[in-house]
Amino acid sequence: MAKVLKFPANAAADVSPPLPSIRFNQFLPYYAVFQADVRQILQSWIYRLWVLLSIGAVIGFLMYRFGAKQVAGFVQPAPEMINDLFQWIVWGSVTLIIVLTSGTICGERGTLADAVLCRGISRIQYFLGKWHARVAVILGTYFILALTTVIASSLLLHTASLDLLGALVAVVTVAALLLMIITCGVTVSAIANTTVVAITVVWMALYGVGFMLSFLPSDYPSPDRALQTLPEVLKGYYNAHMVNRFLLGSVGASTMMAVVGMFCFSYKDV
Amino acid sequence: MAESPSDLVVETYKLTKIYQNRQIALNDVTLRLEPGTVLGLLGHNGAGKTTLLRLILGLHRPTAGWVKMFGQTMTPNAAALRRRMGYIPTNPQFPPGMTPISYLDYIARLFGIPAEVRKPRLASLIRAVDLLNVSGDKIDGFSNGMTARLAVASSLINEPELLIWDEPTHGLDPEGRRSILDLIKTLAREKSIIVTSHNLSDIDEVCNHAAVLSSGHMIYCGTLSDLKGRMRKCQYDLDLDGDQKAITKLFNAVKGMQEFKMVNLRQRRLELRLGDEANLASSLANVLMTIADNKVTLVSVRSSGQQTEQAFLDLVEQEESRGFARAYHPNADAA
Repeated sequence: MAKVLKFPANAAADVSPPLPSIRFNQFLPYYAVFQADVRQILQSWIYRLWVLLSIGAVIGFLMYRFGAKQVAGFVQPAPEMINDLFQWIVWGSVTLIIVLTSGTICGERGTLADAVLCRGISRIQYFLGKWHARVAVILGTYFILALTTVIASSLLLHTASLDLLGALVAVVTVAALLLMIITCGVTVSAIANTTVVAITVVWMALYGVGFMLSFLPSDYPSPDRALQTLPEVLKGYYNAHMVNRFLLGSVGASTMMAVVGMFCFSYKDV
Repeated sequence: MAESPSDLVVETYKLTKIYQNRQIALNDVTLRLEPGTVLGLLGHNGAGKTTLLRLILGLHRPTAGWVKMFGQTMTPNAAALRRRMGYIPTNPQFPPGMTPISYLDYIARLFGIPAEVRKPRLASLIRAVDLLNVSGDKIDGFSNGMTARLAVASSLINEPELLIWDEPTHGLDPEGRRSILDLIKTLAREKSIIVTSHNLSDIDEVCNHAAVLSSGHMIYCGTLSDLKGRMRKCQYDLDLDGDQKAITKLFNAVKGMQEFKMVNLRQRRLELRLGDEANLASSLANVLMTIADNKVTLVSVRSSGQQTEQAFLDLVEQEESRGFARAYHPNADAA
């Protein structure tokens, strides 16, 4: 039964005593948004769908390859299998990751964002809290999935050519790629007015930038080339300088996108 | 009176908001709110009330003009200024899956209030708004009254100096509405408050100042008593009973009296408006005599409508009738 709104006689007395001089914690609003957003992502059906599909695909793929090895005796080299799975994670998950990130801010505009941004929090803190939450959850989930895949592959498949350090480099390379996708999604979501527009813009931006980067000379790192070299990286054949350049480039590009997103969001109506 | 601009709680100057060059939501609004003021913001739907509040809160950026809160310019990143304000939107939204305790804790953390202060504070607020027995339940299943109480608690968690409540009685039953109005009266003793409401009797009851917006333009800003003083006087409603033919005959008789500018009959209610020169006592005496002559029973006589409501409607009507003249003397009616 609906309760009527009733303030007891002493309600005003309860709410009115002045607070002692408070030393406000400047970090707390950021952390509150970060924590609430992490909880929100973990409860979202898109995230759960992504995790379930990824786990299902990894288990199915590994079981199939393991079965081929056991039953027919086909050699199943782990680097090729892991590469296939990483490629799947990037290309197969990218749609769900874009959907998961593109509604981060614009999906709450006019509703929940109001309830947060009318409090003692700046737009920059709000953006950072949201961005870091998405990065932490998606990359955290990815690292768990990827490392489990590497460990399971090394146990079930032919690991003669698999280099553990190379596998770690491959995992980090794909993570750098995902970091850019996540940041792009959150940035566009801070600028766009609706989730549908944000998803469209992110897709176009990713395809457009990827296409343009493929025209760069071969000594420049690009997402496309980074994915193509994964089988060799998993075997331990990689150019550390190129990997570093790619990782730094990814972090730099993500930071730049985030700064643009923060700047635009600071000047935008919610 | 505030001695300097920094003493003002809210100050806006020529505040204008145009959405995407398509809609003029607010036009040239200048407002000064002194500490201790309880301002009722009036206006029809789409008059720009919520836009003005969102500009004050820094949720929107002005297209032109500026907003100062406590003497400092409000921007979307002015978190320190928003720490001194408490806001309730028209339809408060709550994150899914939260309980009153976790929600108030979340809001308090958004203000940067440390745990040793916010935990006792949220506990006393939950008790104050009578949500103690549902403090562990999810907000998703709460009634309108319960969410309103939670919204009130969340707007008070930071002990703000200025409260901005956008239609706080919206969707509440009479008892809930009464509680909110009583709370506003209590809080008004030590805080500045801006309240919007479509129910003008609410404004009449709790506010000492009023601002009237019409199509994004502020047509009045001043004390509520001044606003009431502007209303057309000498307008009365007479509730009658008896034979409908006799009432109609009475209506025709009164309609023939020169001292009345307007005479309407709505079923059994006779609406009268006296002319400017008419003598109130003798005019009403004539009407009462006519009622008696026609053997109609007089049930009640009262000054028509709520005073504030009438004054508001008159103001809007006058503003609209000015037509192009509004462009030449835009602030003529603003106090």
